Amino acid sequence: MTVGQMPEAVRRPRPPAARKGAGAARSGGLPRTSMTARRHRAFYMFTAPWIIGFLLLTVGPMAYALWLSFTTFDGISPNWSFVGFANYRELLSDQVTWDSLSRAGVFALTSVPLSIVAGLALAVLVNRPLRARGLWRTLLYLPAVVPPVGAGLVFKALFNRDSGAANGVLNVVGIDAVAWLDDPYARYVILMAVLWAAGNVMIISLAGLQDVPRELHEAARIDGASAWRTFRSITVPLLSPVLLFQAVTGMIASVQTIMPLLIASNPTPAGVTAIPQTNYMYMMHVFAEYFALGRYGYASALLWVLFVLILIATGLIFKLTSGVVFYNVDPEAKK
Amino acid sequence: MTATTVTPTPHPAAKKADAGVRVRIRTSRLVLYTVLVVITGLMIGPFGWLIITGLKTTPELAASPVHWLPDSIQWHNFADAFTQIDFLGYARNSLIIALIYATLVTLSSAWVGFGFARLDAPGKKVLFGILLGSMMLPQMITLFPTYLIFAKVGMVDTYWPWVLWGLSAAPYLVFLFRQFFAGMPRELEEAAIIDGCGYATVFWRIFLPQSRPVLAASFVIAFTWSWGDFIAPMLLLSSDRTTLSVAIMTQYVTPGGLPVNNLLAAGSVMYVVPILLIFLIAQRGFVAGMSTTGLK
Repeated sequence: MTVGQMPEAVRRPRPPAARKGAGAARSGGLPRTSMTARRHRAFYMFTAPWIIGFLLLTVGPMAYALWLSFTTFDGISPNWSFVGFANYRELLSDQVTWDSLSRAGVFALTSVPLSIVAGLALAVLVNRPLRARGLWRTLLYLPAVVPPVGAGLVFKALFNRDSGAANGVLNVVGIDAVAWLDDPYARYVILMAVLWAAGNVMIISLAGLQDVPRELHEAARIDGASAWRTFRSITVPLLSPVLLFQAVTGMIASVQTIMPLLIASNPTPAGVTAIPQTNYMYMMHVFAEYFALGRYGYASALLWVLFVLILIATGLIFKLTSGVVFYNVDPEAKK
Repeated sequence: MTATTVTPTPHPAAKKADAGVRVRIRTSRLVLYTVLVVITGLMIGPFGWLIITGLKTTPELAASPVHWLPDSIQWHNFADAFTQIDFLGYARNSLIIALIYATLVTLSSAWVGFGFARLDAPGKKVLFGILLGSMMLPQMITLFPTYLIFAKVGMVDTYWPWVLWGLSAAPYLVFLFRQFFAGMPRELEEAAIIDGCGYATVFWRIFLPQSRPVLAASFVIAFTWSWGDFIAPMLLLSSDRTTLSVAIMTQYVTPGGLPVNNLLAAGSVMYVVPILLIFLIAQRGFVAGMSTTGLK
């Protein structure tokens, strides 16, 4: 009925390594070489849609953006020119770029750890024997299913200055109404909107929790370990690959979040320059430069800088955690 | 005295300890369920507020301090939300795009996933690495220059971009299918291949029919993505061909440009509910899909 029953389905695809071994020892019915050649051709036939799509819709646009970043192209004026690294030089001396970048950094460094901790806590909570456990899991996960647009609308209603429940609660405890959707509070609203979807981390951690061998917990209990100690020394290390994955995908999601736009009073390309300063994060800056100002060249330079920064950040996360993350079994290792 | 006390002591003491444990368990249970109810309230409450907001009058929304509940429930707001914007028209656009995209991307991802799961060739490892790496690529980054290219080739204000995105498979779903297909027994295709069937036939006749749950999960996930997408339709489609998400975000306004909050909330409810229903119906597959791809 519920979220709680997924482990079978999750585990199902696991045995590939073992099966592959058995398959390799098959008795050849047809000459081996022609079979192999056929398999090779078939592999490329099957992966072609993705390869072609990747080249046309990912590599192509990225290369195009790289080329644009060395020009003054704006899509309209025919007198554009190559300017070498001028866009990159401008970007480095642009205070707006630095400010928006640091806002994005602060947002990533707060929203990602908070949602991982919240999601993990929820997972531990609903992994306990509870009455109607499946129902709790479903209810806690439900907000994570709501698309960003829906979440933006929900939080706009919740934090509206006049009609929002947040100010209603403040009023009850005697605090004056706060303009939540403006400076300087708007950043907390997007943070809460992100935390509202902590169910994503919960569901993935839950699957991980259920994979932690029961014997380990029992052994720890017999040895007299406290619940906290067991959690810290057994659960967290075994979950660390899952948490690492969450950290990386969470970081990337936080960098490209459009939540600032979605809770803005005018969520259009024209309105992006008017969103509250605290929410004017790097992605909004890129968006504004592209579609509000039409400075394709400069915006493309911003985009490439972000792309490189994300690559570096991802690499750093993997590097920093390489000694800490514990891989129990690597299903690919046997190949 | 000692004799009389010694013999019965174990009994009451044990009983006392037992009761103590029971009380402790009961209080810890109470704490547990209280925490659970409070957190669940915080998670579900916002939905409730959206519905309540949608049932109020405009003066009630402007009242200060906050008017918690509507004096009389304004059901007609939900009907008005349909007419203030061309709700059904936009819902149809959303539906068409979501169906096109979800159908195509599910089939193409299954097709590609089969390749990665059951076949090999030189370069497979590198390609698979690129596939996984591209899952990490922020879509927003590629979307902006992609938009410029689509504008150049005249695909703005058409649904072709979604056809192309659908045909080129989504790395996340490819991975989902790859994991599923890799777990199926090798004998499945061997006999068919030896009998002279092509891999396409094997895929279509043997593997696809076996993977209905994954197909459903993939379809639901892709449908949700598309239904919830905002930036791509906003950039690519004109205001009458656009999707419900964009229309709701931008069109519940007075002629003077001020938001009509009760209709906006009512419209938002009707925008979110289909997704919640689809999730509740397809929950198992959806969650299994999320966890499979999230775990590794």
